[in-house]
Amino acid sequence: MLVTARLRPPDRVVEVADVRRVADLLARLEVLPGAVLVIRDGALLTSQDELRDGDKVEVRFAISGGG
Amino acid sequence: MAMRCKRCRGTAVMEVRRHNAAFCRDCFLHYVGQQVTRAIAKYRMAGHTDRVLVAVSGGKDSLALWDLLLELGYQADGLYLSLGIGAYSERSKAVCQEFAEARGATLLVHDLAGEHGYTIPEAAGKGGRSSCGVCGLSKRYVFNRAALDGGYDVVCTGHNLDDEAAVLFGNTLRWDTAAMARQFPVLEATRPGLVKKVKPLYRVAERETAAYCVLKGIDYVVEECPLVAGNTQMRHKETLNQMEEAAPGTKHSFLFGYLDRAAALLKVADDADLTECARCGMTTQAPEDPASEAVCAFCRSKARLVKTLPIVEVASR
Ligand code: SF4
Ligand SMILES: [Zn+2]
Ligand SMILES: [Zn+2]
Repeated sequence: MLVTARLRPPDRVVEVADVRRVADLLARLEVLPGAVLVIRDGALLTSQDELRDGDKVEVRFAISGGG
Repeated sequence: MAMRCKRCRGTAVMEVRRHNAAFCRDCFLHYVGQQVTRAIAKYRMAGHTDRVLVAVSGGKDSLALWDLLLELGYQADGLYLSLGIGAYSERSKAVCQEFAEARGATLLVHDLAGEHGYTIPEAAGKGGRSSCGVCGLSKRYVFNRAALDGGYDVVCTGHNLDDEAAVLFGNTLRWDTAAMARQFPVLEATRPGLVKKVKPLYRVAERETAAYCVLKGIDYVVEECPLVAGNTQMRHKETLNQMEEAAPGTKHSFLFGYLDRAAALLKVADDADLTECARCGMTTQAPEDPASEAVCAFCRSKARLVKTLPIVEVASR
């Protein structure tokens, strides 16, 4: 099974194989779950939600700098 | 197994680990609204008869804040300041304009180059300040002045829990007690020439303002400002996020512990030391030598910039 993740910002697309849940995907991407939102078809996913083969998800960083 | 909403037991879409909770869409929006209502009540930030000005950048925090204030029934206008950061600024302005139009809300648009003769990329490093340094100084100045000119009672900014925790962390590392004392969810207008400033999102985490926008279909600028790279606040946020992952609630207790127990021990700078800037008339620190002229930090920075930049000085309004 294969999941396509679009990480933004910046805007990078990666394919990840064999990840059952969102938590597994984030661990594989080495991304802190507290720093991102995971969005599929416009809907938010929690870390426990299951992923399906062929899913396209956006991993959106919710941290901004500046001030 | 899908997570359940803490409030209604429906399917959850958003976890809030520091509260050991997860919420469905509607209950999450309710939770965020409650946090903002609590913040406003606790520090008497604004009343429903006040004219409120929201500083909007096109990012998730300020647009979520504007949306929340309108939903909660406040008379809230937006203020966008164009910083001249190329396509990023253009897109940010368009996003704010669309937001305002869709809600029939009023957006004031100011322009740094048009009103003061410089853009942030031009100014970066030239007056001895980093891009974010000049940017912050310019924003504070323009917001305060626009609020005074427009007769607003209070200026709201989108600073969230993560922003406040990161700034407090930086100030604590340097024990900058003067900066710490000023870092409060509300700064009263203690004399004419100053406007009350409040941060109604200080109880809401950054990830939550982003989720609020996604769930409400608010289009915000996801791209980072191109000048942010290497920003110290960003590094502090990363450090705090590592700690938060290991112990959820760390940022919350760091910030709230400070506000509830330590902030009162610090003394805010005395008003008696304030006076009017000889150039622009805005409130500023009085010079130590009473014989010398009081010029505010913004006017000093602008004078340095205008000298080093190949630009035409624009007459101040
Ligand atoms: S990142 Fe820095 S330069 Fe860019 S908008 Fe924020 S404060 Fe201004
Ligand atoms: Zn619910
Ligand atoms: Zn001045």
